[in-house]
Amino acid sequence: MKGKTLIIRLAVLAVAAALAAVMMVIGRGHTLYFDNKTIEDYQGQEYKAFERVVVTVKGEEVAKLGKRERGMATWIGQDFKMVLEITEKKGDEPRIEEISIQLPYGVDGVVINLPAYLAGLPEDAWFSEFVPMVEEEPSEEDLPGEGDGFGLEGDMGLEGDLGV
Amino acid sequence: MDAPATAIALQYWLKKMGYPRLIIAGFLLFLFIMAPITGSDLPTQITNVINRFSWNAVLVLAMVPMIHSGCGLNFGIPLGVLAGLLGGTLAIEMGFTGTMSFLMAIVVSTPFAILFGGGYGILLNKIKGGEMMVATYVGLSSVSFMCIMWLLIPYKNPSIVMAYTGVGLRNMFALDSFYAKVLSNFAQIDLNPLGINLVIPTGSLLFFALLALLMWAFLHTKTGTAMTAVGSNPTFARASGIDVDRIRMLSVILSTWLGAVGVLVYQQGFGFVQLYTAPMNMTMPAVAAILLGGASVNKASIPNVIIGTLLFQGLVTMTPTVITALIHTDVSEVIRIIVSNGMVVYALTRKTEESA
Amino acid sequence: MKLKKNFDVIEFLKNNLVPIMFIIICAICIPLSGLSPSYLLNEIVTRMGRNIFLILSLLIPIMAGMGLNFGMTLGAMAGQIALIFVTDWQIWGIPGVVLAMILSVPLSVLFGLVCGKLMNMAKGREMIVGYMMNYTGTGFYQLIVLYLMGLIIPIKHTSIRLPRGYGIRTTVNLTSLRQCLDNEFAIFFKGVKIPVLNFIIIAGLCLFVVWFRRTKLGQDMRAVGQDMGVAQAAGINVDRTRIVAIIMSTVLAGFGQIIYLQNIGNFPTYTAHSQIGMFCIAALLVGGASVEKASIGNVFLGVILFHTMFIVAPKAGVTITGDAMIGEYFRVFVSYGVITLALVMYEIKKRRSRSLGGALLAQAQREGGTQS
Repeated sequence: MKGKTLIIRLAVLAVAAALAAVMMVIGRGHTLYFDNKTIEDYQGQEYKAFERVVVTVKGEEVAKLGKRERGMATWIGQDFKMVLEITEKKGDEPRIEEISIQLPYGVDGVVINLPAYLAGLPEDAWFSEFVPMVEEEPSEEDLPGEGDGFGLEGDMGLEGDLGV
Repeated sequence: MDAPATAIALQYWLKKMGYPRLIIAGFLLFLFIMAPITGSDLPTQITNVINRFSWNAVLVLAMVPMIHSGCGLNFGIPLGVLAGLLGGTLAIEMGFTGTMSFLMAIVVSTPFAILFGGGYGILLNKIKGGEMMVATYVGLSSVSFMCIMWLLIPYKNPSIVMAYTGVGLRNMFALDSFYAKVLSNFAQIDLNPLGINLVIPTGSLLFFALLALLMWAFLHTKTGTAMTAVGSNPTFARASGIDVDRIRMLSVILSTWLGAVGVLVYQQGFGFVQLYTAPMNMTMPAVAAILLGGASVNKASIPNVIIGTLLFQGLVTMTPTVITALIHTDVSEVIRIIVSNGMVVYALTRKTEESA
Repeated sequence: MKLKKNFDVIEFLKNNLVPIMFIIICAICIPLSGLSPSYLLNEIVTRMGRNIFLILSLLIPIMAGMGLNFGMTLGAMAGQIALIFVTDWQIWGIPGVVLAMILSVPLSVLFGLVCGKLMNMAKGREMIVGYMMNYTGTGFYQLIVLYLMGLIIPIKHTSIRLPRGYGIRTTVNLTSLRQCLDNEFAIFFKGVKIPVLNFIIIAGLCLFVVWFRRTKLGQDMRAVGQDMGVAQAAGINVDRTRIVAIIMSTVLAGFGQIIYLQNIGNFPTYTAHSQIGMFCIAALLVGGASVEKASIGNVFLGVILFHTMFIVAPKAGVTITGDAMIGEYFRVFVSYGVITLALVMYEIKKRRSRSLGGALLAQAQREGGTQS
């Protein structure tokens, strides 16, 4: 009986751990930024920005980009898929391309240069990490531990606590 | 032959002191030693500790009667605080200033304390055995009720009502022209001319000493001993003809009144009156202090009050400066929360000899 | 015949004093508040979706005779710590919520274990111990979140870390989790958004509670709740059963807090948990529960009544007195007042039954004495 309980417990633990691991993989969120920007010089060649790109993610139009514009979308998981509607030059018929990109797990914000990507260049040409600007706000945060309270203030501060 | 005897004596003292108390006393000693090393001025620190002791001691003393009569820790002290606040604000409203306002505050708060304490006592007599939880919530709900009242009572004095609307009392107001420092400045000993930053608020200490002495004397009167009897063994007390309910009621009223006086003393030291939710913050420091001083849920004495207040206020005043200087992080708040509340949990989980 | 009926009415009123009082308060305040019925309904449905789970976590300790679990706050803290991790690791959406729940379990179990052990050391004073535990727990929570996170526990993102390098900012944004449960399968019915998934989860928990009452452990808990001495004599490990009850409550409270916060979309790091216990307990009591008896029905009724009062009181206060603060204070007063009332009624009842027991015992002894 005791052995059985132990096995059940271990099994529950293993399932929970496995579930957590799965969640960590499938739930990893990324923010993607699409640049429709001319790459001036990649190994001596120039890749021109498109006249117009419409980005559709999960059936939802997330960005309509002119030249030198940036769009944004969010994606959960690593197999990123999107549909692009590209107008190469003024007056061209738009063509539609379905694209899937494997996102690296550890990167929060991914910047994709569309002209470079669609030209089939290697990753270092079109991929870059989005580094958010560190907002240096003055530390005006009202931390606990300041003032003459006894750690019990806000005992009745209901405003906001219930999201009202 | 001597060694075991000392060992036993040591063990006895350890047990009597209790580990948390020892640890905190040791920690405080460490703080006092570290204070000069970290560059803070020891006399200033001592002045701060004594000052804060003088503000808080009466509130801690207010715990004693109820613990004695077996009503447990008085988590309902906000009720007394409210009586004190009513007394203070009404005395100011009536136009008293200076020392007179302090005396009048005590006089005016007395009937309120008797009224609140009486009602509270009747309630507590109906729920013997479950006092502490009910007391906590009586405190909380009466404070929130008074929050409404502070807005509705038609106070007029412009120095205490809200600046713009003129309706309702301010959250906090200074007592400069009223009873700020009236006790502390009485016969104050100031060593600053001698080059030592030591100031002793003699008046406040004397006032506390007076109340403590009265309390001690009271506990040795017939009624006082009856109170102790009720607390330690209610069945026996009833058998020996003591009116248990009446004694308990008396202790609650006494506690509430001391709470009222205590908050007035606190305000005269602090120099400000804090209204609305502030009374809630008075409970834990007082409860923790008396427990730290060696009291238990059903036993407390005057030395407990003095030692406990010194330890707790020492901790509260010393940690911010000394620990911050040591590790460059202000963890004092966390230490304070853990110590004060942990102490109460510790006391509650002790096996008490007689949990009626 | 008529007399009997009258008696019943009085008894009914006596037993349901608090809910009836609340229905009256709500009935007066709703028209005064001037809020539109659809707004009110929308608010109540949302609040039901986010609060019921938390309140359900209180049922199990009541069953085990440990009273209102004021220590549920500890579970809420565990949930918040888990949410901080999930935010830092950038796990989004429903997987994020599930991961937060899994992460909160070990913490909740630990907190619940400590709380349960302490409550066993102070039998008969469980509530005050639980109440004090949430303050002590707050101290440890602050120690972890304000000092250790970033120093010892790695926190990667500067968006949630304080500029000084360690500690978490005063508000944690859950933008990527915000309402992910609420919006999944949400149905709009005449302008009222119904968070179906939330209600499915709640229904699941209700079924679990009903089922749990019938299991061996559930039966043990009820036995312990009835009389510890008898339960001990019947071979039930009382202390262990009580600890399990508290652990279950704490774990559920952790889940509940996660569900609650994903609805709100952000939380004040250092204060989000502090009021939760009070609100949940007040809501449960408003639903007609008492310290020793609470049902799922009480939870639902309580949430509806309590939150209706909560929404309309400030507005009604403005209409009556012209001051918004009075309504705010009034609802706080009512919350505390309800808990006070319930505690007083419970203690009076307990004392009456105890003295009744004592009288019976004395009578039995007296009769025994005359016989011999």
